[in-house]
Amino acid sequence: MSLYEHTIIAKQSHSADQLESLKTKYSKIIEKNDGEIIKIDDWGLLNLSHEINKNKKGNYIHFKLKGNGLTVSELEKNEKIDKNLLRFLTVKVKKFDLDKDYFKQENNSNE
Amino acid sequence: MKKKFKRNVKKNYQRNLTKLNLFQVSKFQFKKKCPLSEKNAPKIDYKNVKLLKKYMSENGKILPSRITSVSQNKQRKLSLSIKRARILALV
Repeated sequence: MSLYEHTIIAKQSHSADQLESLKTKYSKIIEKNDGEIIKIDDWGLLNLSHEINKNKKGNYIHFKLKGNGLTVSELEKNEKIDKNLLRFLTVKVKKFDLDKDYFKQENNSNE
Repeated sequence: MKKKFKRNVKKNYQRNLTKLNLFQVSKFQFKKKCPLSEKNAPKIDYKNVKLLKKYMSENGKILPSRITSVSQNKQRKLSLSIKRARILALV
């Protein structure tokens, strides 16, 4: 079992309910393929630095999960087909830094 | 005329070599230390956008380490995390 960080970008037009359903959909897929979710972060609506498929903003959802190669490949297989998503990224890490939230601080300063 | 000129160049070249010692350590030239290898240095991470932007040009290119004086090990990690942030359109 190894540790992964997984981030997905959903389209801007999605409502809060749709984002929730996306979250539950992928967390179910992870748990089915003997994975384990440690934390789900919501980074919220952020400006994209460059346009992706003519979208200027995106909803970011960040998963921290424990699993094996099968978990990740199954997750990415489902995300490739999904038309609600713009991008996804999986990064293998040795250790989670659970104290730092780079995107929460930004939101507070803006408010 | 041409031959004389060539000889002069050779002589000057040899003179310069004797003046410069390749193994001399210059006392007045100092090298900056790597800002990412110090104590309490920030951790390089693709989520830390503020840090990554310090080491990029305005056009979004990665700055060479000879300008920023980042160590080779950290420069490798930096470039990897900048490329990751580019995929997620953070940088």
